[in-house]
Amino acid sequence: MDRLSNGVLVMRRGLWSKNAVPGVRVRKEKTRKIDGREWRNWSPRHSKLAAGILRTKQEPSSFLPSEGSQALYLGAGHGTTVSHLHDHLCGLDNEQGGSIIAVDISPRCMRDLVGLAKRRPGLLPVLADVRNHEGLRPWLNGRVDWLFQDVSQAGQVEIFLDAAKNFLAPGGVALLSLKSASERIVEGGANEHYDSAAKAMEIAGLDVLETIHLKGWEEQHALISSVAPREWPLSNDTRD
Amino acid sequence: MRLCWDWRLARIFDDSGEIVDESVWDAGRKPAAVATRLNLLSEGRMTHEARRLSERFPEAEITPIHELQSHMWPTISSDDAQLLQEATLVIAQAGIADASNNPDRRLEHLVRAGDEMRSSWTTLEARVIEWSGLFLPEIDLDGNRSRIPIALARAESLEGAATELETVASPTGINNLEWSALSQWARGVVEVEARLQSVESAIKEVATEHLPSTSALIGPLLAARMSTTAHGRGRLARLPSGTVQVLGAESSFFLHLRDGIPVPKHGHLFQHPWVSRSPRWIRGKVARMLSGKVSIAARLDAYGGSPWGDKEVREVEAKVADIRKRHPKPQR
Repeated sequence: MDRLSNGVLVMRRGLWSKNAVPGVRVRKEKTRKIDGREWRNWSPRHSKLAAGILRTKQEPSSFLPSEGSQALYLGAGHGTTVSHLHDHLCGLDNEQGGSIIAVDISPRCMRDLVGLAKRRPGLLPVLADVRNHEGLRPWLNGRVDWLFQDVSQAGQVEIFLDAAKNFLAPGGVALLSLKSASERIVEGGANEHYDSAAKAMEIAGLDVLETIHLKGWEEQHALISSVAPREWPLSNDTRD
Repeated sequence: MRLCWDWRLARIFDDSGEIVDESVWDAGRKPAAVATRLNLLSEGRMTHEARRLSERFPEAEITPIHELQSHMWPTISSDDAQLLQEATLVIAQAGIADASNNPDRRLEHLVRAGDEMRSSWTTLEARVIEWSGLFLPEIDLDGNRSRIPIALARAESLEGAATELETVASPTGINNLEWSALSQWARGVVEVEARLQSVESAIKEVATEHLPSTSALIGPLLAARMSTTAHGRGRLARLPSGTVQVLGAESSFFLHLRDGIPVPKHGHLFQHPWVSRSPRWIRGKVARMLSGKVSIAARLDAYGGSPWGDKEVREVEAKVADIRKRHPKPQR
């Protein structure tokens, strides 16, 4: 058993998060009792973040925001990953005092996120286009230490870099889940997309740590992990 | 000097980052009020507190709080966090409710519902016609197609239905259980037909309202279908006419790209009599001309131009007639 944080652990190659709403499952995931508390299975098939944590060659806990901090999640979808992140970041009744700003453009997804948030203090679902930065600002208290983006649309990398410049704190973690099929087909295929995304992130000033291929769990996807340097954002593009 | 604010408070900082003045919101802190403030902020506007400080220090430069050092802005207390979440849910739910006002979404469901209803109607209707033919050996099935389900649904017995259809029942007759199965099937057909009509009249109403020019040009049902396939009126208006022309013919279009079969000349537009009732060799020309007109009409609808009426539609019709006249024979 490998404990990544108070609320997340790896046990026999499975990832588990300590349920912040005991007795309630989000998408019929397996649960088990460990040390008298209920833990939910965090499946790499349903969560690219989980897949990244299980497959990284880095320290897996570096993929998680620090407990009680503020996290920005762009493209929250139906809230599977968000719920596990909430287990980790906020915990029971938000004992950790964290907050997750979960943004999605789809009203259908927002329904599920609202249902989730009603039971989970600290989770803030925002119905907005992730490119509309003004629309997200009111929810952010300063910059965030952890940024995750999973939007399946063309121009994902630019959207991600814009968000990182505007919202990420110096030294913060920025994770991009890249869907190759959302971009124009290029020679070299998916790997070319991953490489050019990683290169664009380097040019923007982020320190790219790893490109994790999610093949087997999620086809045509990669998770690119990076951190912002101490000087961030680079002074010449603080304002556009 | 710098002026910063969020939904809770506003502050003035001097150039060394010291707080010069502060105004904190403390009256009427309810979720709905917080929601109003958040909406104000997302439009980049000022709260009362920010305006008060900005009047006191007109020279202060407006600075978003994420440009401050993190220690310059207070963290969120747990009371505030709870209030913020409640307000966030108010806004999110209002946004979800707004989606039901979206005519594009409504049309999408209506058009799909109509398609599903029509495809089940076709199967059910074909079955009842062939089935009843067994027991009504002398009837002209195709000539009485529309009357057969109604007569079967209404009649008490096979003989009753035969009389209403002015024909004779099979001399061997039909046993009771089989008759009731057939008759109920016929009632189902009549029922599905009624449902289909109610869906289509709803489509007509929404489309005439939402897509007045396009509806005037190609009819509300086809206009709704084009708009739905394009994922909404706004997108239909932005599509190039060449794409509009083959909208609905995606499968053959991609077969063309992959296998090099000839390019499709028309998609949904084929449903319009100007295209489908034209001779084969000019359908492409008519579809190409019509797709340009659909683009214009969709743009009028999406961007608020004055809608097309009979006059413009007659002009397009004249162009169709002109194309037909110029190409009486297939090109050799």
